[in-house]
Amino acid sequence: MRFHCTFGVNFWTFESFQPNTAAMANREARFNQTVLVDTTPMPDHIPKVEEIGATSAPLLSASYFIGDRCKAYNDDFMKCKDESNGRGEFDCLKEGRKVTRCAASVIKDINTHCLDQFKAHWECLENNNHQLWECRRPEVQLNSCVFDKLGLKKTLPGAPEGQVPVHLRPKQKYAQYPGPQW
Amino acid sequence: MPQDMPPTGGYAQVQYKRNIPARGFKPAYYMIGMHVIMAYGFYKYFHGAREQRELAREKMWSRHHLTPLLQAEEDRDQVRRHYADKAREKELLGTDIKVYNSDRFVRPTFAYTPSNLTQ
Repeated sequence: MRFHCTFGVNFWTFESFQPNTAAMANREARFNQTVLVDTTPMPDHIPKVEEIGATSAPLLSASYFIGDRCKAYNDDFMKCKDESNGRGEFDCLKEGRKVTRCAASVIKDINTHCLDQFKAHWECLENNNHQLWECRRPEVQLNSCVFDKLGLKKTLPGAPEGQVPVHLRPKQKYAQYPGPQW
Repeated sequence: MPQDMPPTGGYAQVQYKRNIPARGFKPAYYMIGMHVIMAYGFYKYFHGAREQRELAREKMWSRHHLTPLLQAEEDRDQVRRHYADKAREKELLGTDIKVYNSDRFVRPTFAYTPSNLTQ
């Protein structure tokens, strides 16, 4: 097979390693999960912060405690992003670091004081498709431990008045066992 | 000649109706039963829907509490990549370039891929 080229480039190299196919599509396959990561570190003028590093189930399990302790930082960060007119990525780095440090402190405290209950709850969530209503028993134990040791409380804003909030109801209609959970 | 007359005492009744006993209850009872079943179903449905609404609220608030944390991490990563891109462009072109006539952060469409494995 011959390649005709009008730009004066010789295509003999293509012929040499793919003689029987067209010269298209001979790019090597690239697996972007290993190649796409740009590992250049953050420049030195931006202070470093350790990322939270927790996966989704521990974060879901701890989310209400993070929200309880870090509400001020969270609101500050989101307000900064809202008001910075499209430059929030640069201008709110400081607020973002506070948010991350606060959340990391919550995770650290829970790990120090209520590790067993925390682990039981987030492993239950992992095994139940992250459905909170399947894990009320470990959740109640985690909540009471966290409230005793850290003083953080799970509250559900906006729930209807005069009803027990859904996370405190012993019976969960949608759980696999719909009777009393604890 | 006498005319033909009915027999004395009249003709016998012609049986034109089927003589089968009515099965089951009165129709009204079926109607009532259907409504009772439906009322029970709606009762269960509304209570289930209320609980689902509360569960959805719980999930949403959990995500609200986590959003700033996740967003902050993502922003830091974007800024890190942005400065890396800037440094790379400066090294290639020798000068700082601006693509957009705005100082907003624009999330890049194309990502830089290192030529050899980095991770």
